[in-house]
Amino acid sequence: MGVVVFAAVIQRFAILWALLGGSVFAAEFSQADRDWWAFQPVRQAAVPADGGGWALNGIDRFIARKLAANGLTVATAADRRTLVRRVCLDLTGLPPTLEQIAKFLGDDSPGAYEKLVDRLLESPRYGEAQASLWLDLVRYADSDGYNADHYRPEAWQYRDYVIRSFNTDKPYDLFVREQLAGDEIDPGNRDALIATMFLRHWIYEYNQRDVETQWHEILADITNVSADALLGMGLQCARCHDHKFDPITQRDYFRMQAFFTPLLPRDSMPVGTVAQREKFLKKHNAWAAATDEVRGQLHAIEQPVLLKHATGEGFNKFITKIKTMIRKRPGQRTAYEQQIATMSERQFGLEPEKLPERIEGGSKAKWEQLRAELAAFDPEEPKPLPQVKFVVSDAGPLAPATRMPKSGALVEPGFLSILDPGLANITPPPAALQSTGRRTALANWITRPDNPLTSRVLVNRLWQRHFGRGLAANASDFGKLGEPPTHPELLDWLAARFVANGWSVKKMHRLMVTSATYRQASVNAQSERTDPTNTWFARAPISRLSAEQVRDGLLAVSGELDLQTGGEGVVAAESNHRSVYRKVMRNNPDDVMHTFDLPDHISHTPQRNVTTTATQSLLLLNSEWTRKRAAALAERLAKRHPGDAVAQVVVAQELAFGQAPLPSQLGDALEFLAACGATDDLAALGEYCHVLMNANAFLYVD
Amino acid sequence: MNFEAPMTDRLFSRRELLLRGGGGFGALALSGMLARDKTFAAAEPMALGQAQFAPKAKNVIFLFMEGGPSHIDLFDPKPLLNKLSGQRMPESFKRPITAMGEAESPLLASPRKWKRHGQSGIWVSDWLPHTAECVDDLAVIRSCWTNGINHSGGVCQMNTCQPLAGRPCLGSWVNYGLGTENENLPAFVVMTDTKSTPVNGPRNWSAGFMPAAYQGIRLSPGTEPFRHLNIPKGVTTATHRRKLELLRRLNEQHQATREHQSELEARIRSYELAYRMQATAPEAVDLTSETDATKRLYGFGNKDTEPFGRCCLLARRMVERGVRFVQIYHGAGSKWDSHSKMEENHSRQCRQSDLPTAGLLKDLKSRGLLEETLVIWGGEFGRTPMSEKGDGRDHNPTGFTMWMAGGGVKGGQVIGTTDELGLRATEDRLHVHDLHATVLHLLGIRNLDLIYRYKGRPETPTINEGVAYTKITSG
Repeated sequence: MGVVVFAAVIQRFAILWALLGGSVFAAEFSQADRDWWAFQPVRQAAVPADGGGWALNGIDRFIARKLAANGLTVATAADRRTLVRRVCLDLTGLPPTLEQIAKFLGDDSPGAYEKLVDRLLESPRYGEAQASLWLDLVRYADSDGYNADHYRPEAWQYRDYVIRSFNTDKPYDLFVREQLAGDEIDPGNRDALIATMFLRHWIYEYNQRDVETQWHEILADITNVSADALLGMGLQCARCHDHKFDPITQRDYFRMQAFFTPLLPRDSMPVGTVAQREKFLKKHNAWAAATDEVRGQLHAIEQPVLLKHATGEGFNKFITKIKTMIRKRPGQRTAYEQQIATMSERQFGLEPEKLPERIEGGSKAKWEQLRAELAAFDPEEPKPLPQVKFVVSDAGPLAPATRMPKSGALVEPGFLSILDPGLANITPPPAALQSTGRRTALANWITRPDNPLTSRVLVNRLWQRHFGRGLAANASDFGKLGEPPTHPELLDWLAARFVANGWSVKKMHRLMVTSATYRQASVNAQSERTDPTNTWFARAPISRLSAEQVRDGLLAVSGELDLQTGGEGVVAAESNHRSVYRKVMRNNPDDVMHTFDLPDHISHTPQRNVTTTATQSLLLLNSEWTRKRAAALAERLAKRHPGDAVAQVVVAQELAFGQAPLPSQLGDALEFLAACGATDDLAALGEYCHVLMNANAFLYVD
Repeated sequence: MNFEAPMTDRLFSRRELLLRGGGGFGALALSGMLARDKTFAAAEPMALGQAQFAPKAKNVIFLFMEGGPSHIDLFDPKPLLNKLSGQRMPESFKRPITAMGEAESPLLASPRKWKRHGQSGIWVSDWLPHTAECVDDLAVIRSCWTNGINHSGGVCQMNTCQPLAGRPCLGSWVNYGLGTENENLPAFVVMTDTKSTPVNGPRNWSAGFMPAAYQGIRLSPGTEPFRHLNIPKGVTTATHRRKLELLRRLNEQHQATREHQSELEARIRSYELAYRMQATAPEAVDLTSETDATKRLYGFGNKDTEPFGRCCLLARRMVERGVRFVQIYHGAGSKWDSHSKMEENHSRQCRQSDLPTAGLLKDLKSRGLLEETLVIWGGEFGRTPMSEKGDGRDHNPTGFTMWMAGGGVKGGQVIGTTDELGLRATEDRLHVHDLHATVLHLLGIRNLDLIYRYKGRPETPTINEGVAYTKITSG
């Protein structure tokens, strides 16, 4: 009887399960949750007919329709000098050179502007400037954070990878797939392995004895940043409880985290195709099997001695549970033990080279004998494959358990259940990779052309960069705490085009900056009065230069900018390289850049703060660094136009503002020079240049 | 909750407030954000620049004893510790994870002489004779606890409520919530007793995800109190004025065609402010008008006490001039950290800090400033009853002592207890979240109602947790 009832319940449950699309959790969501705009498929909206006579591409027609609906008219087109400064700063992060200005002003062919845009997109400066978008999102840094803030000597390779990816216009889906799972997708490609440094940018405390808690914080951080950056969904709230506003359950949080649970930070990762890895592993396994007994005995003798003399933080400060994990032979550890032991082992060093003097007494003879036995197998041990450092792999083909806090219930990997309630379909990768395939499954889902978030989130970020505010205002929160898009059809049209154009970021930039919307002037009295936040884009925004643009801009104007590309980071205050190549030390940011709202690179930053402070004014007015730039510009001018104060002033303003001086400004400048010294006085010219570097016409772009 | 965008009236009134109200290093920062982020304006249920209810305290001085002072040798006597000295902790005490793995090390007795002080009869050890004189003004909180077991996480948490970096510190939240009362000085200043940098560096007074305008500004005693304040060498005052005049003209011409752009106007104002600060800040740090008696009170003339005493005296002057939040690190760079040689370490640290701390309390009190100035004393954690290296103690985040005085706090009370060895807080336990909530409560701010929107999320100073210990005002 009891059995029958039980069976009936099971059967009902199964029917219910099937009805709900394979998940009991699906029932938690209301219709309003399901109807939320960001979860709807990207629609192929028809381009409206509005904007005739003004519109240059589809963007403008969507914009024109909303402008008409809100009773707004577009601004006039920006003048050419304004436009060339704007687009140069937007695409390359640098103010236009005199040559760039002259070339554009001198080209009166119909496609002159488009040609300028193409030149800028092809410039290596483009990737250097756009990289900051991504580096902010992934909180890239060259140091650990925390007190010691240790330098990470390998991290810069990731920064160069990002710059290179922008410059070669790597399709965005591939860019994402490499960063999430390059080790599984393309293990023979060093670049794809470097991309996985995406999963290494967490802050890290080198002497944290509570190793397990730190590891769980790292996994949480990776989960949060991945969702913020790639999906524009803030998952963080759901770590401790179901999200209070969005249909994201706590279980969803851990379904997502489960893709990362098997991670193992690697400081020596082989670079090899599947075939190469297979060949290596086969030989290695044969050697390992043949030597297992000997190595086991050696381990028993050597390890206590090695641990006794462990350097760095030593071995004894760990709790017993962790000591036990460390003592196990790597092959005998579970995946989780391997993770915790590896993280713990980072805290100390071993000195196997000193074993001969440290192993004493009766075991010495035995040890020497075992060593000799092992050495006999040396010819059979395969040569290691080339290595790459500071990357990740999985801890092995078997994933450690992902558990819900408190209940401890086991969680299998799955996507946001509002979008896909089932379990993720995971294909194990070739055995030689010793990996679970979980991250590949996640990467595949995120980069599916029909994923409603991925393409919308990225095009919205690009829009924010060019137009001051995203079409959806919260670039990393497409949930209910963010704002719904002002132009949903345009956002979808852009997202669909982005995917249709092979996820090309350059093409999307081009589409945006060649629109009439982008080319408007920043002044539009009607729009300023009735739409002060510029919700409907009836004018171009006026924006303050970013931290990088302030520093690079001053160096470019002064003629000191060193355009050397790539390589290990430099100290910004002591170097004239572009800011993107600076060493990003989390606890010691560059003074100039920090003052101009550089983010801390500790957490994900979807949009920079823009502040106006007396601290900035004092820095620009009184700091040694700014004054040196001014002096260098004065020298540049004096060399270019010796003794010709008028020419010096004209060129100085053109460099700093992109505009020639008005007659009254020229008069003011000459008067200032005369009052400060003789007209050919380099010091007086320096003071004049210094004033330009403080001026709004330099600090803002419109 | 209403997520509709507020409309332009509010936006503009706020913006005007910001422009008019100035705020020196502070409030101007918002203007740029307001222009582009509608949700931002909707974010705060409380109006910026004023308390939510009648505050007890207007200003805060936070004396940060960096490195972890030993509560069981200063404020929390434990007879059982001396009784069990040299033995392992009884099995009834659950083993903690400690920084140096000292859970099984022998217990270390406290050799201090303990006495009850004042009318309240609160226990203070002979390491703090001067603080002991002020004990009737103190609320001694013996039941503090935190999470970070290392200095970095501990200092970070005591400042920001969480051990992981990235959040705004308490001073930034207060600056954000209340603003300044003197637009020519920063609302939030930070000092260190020596040239050493505290653990984590300037991140401790960073505004985290909030605009940098809310961060603490470092104040250094000397000829240049704030960075880049002074006109560079080689530039005459006349040239400097001429430059500012030329700059003004350029900016006005630039703005003439862009009159609706308040950012541009704010930038112009920021230069005016910088100029005014150059005039006012030197006076604020000029101690020549202080009497010898006052200076003696703070320990001037003694090389041990003068460095911290100078910071304390400057703190009083800042508070007098309307600076909202002052933080002083004593022992910057973990100098209170005493893994070995406790006796030598704490003797020195107490000798340097005890007299100036008491001097500050007495001076504030005699000037009638203590009533509205909350003074906080404490480190990032306490120390273990277990010994380390024979004569030191390991970090103890699970139970330690802080005290608060002034700003509406009822003096002469002891709050909470730790267990018999001082290892864990037991009664009236106050986590860092609760401590911050209590500080905000005294300032007239409900910790869960001060909201800053970050990535769309409503962030609060105590991470949606923390309960103010409101009884602190009544005992």
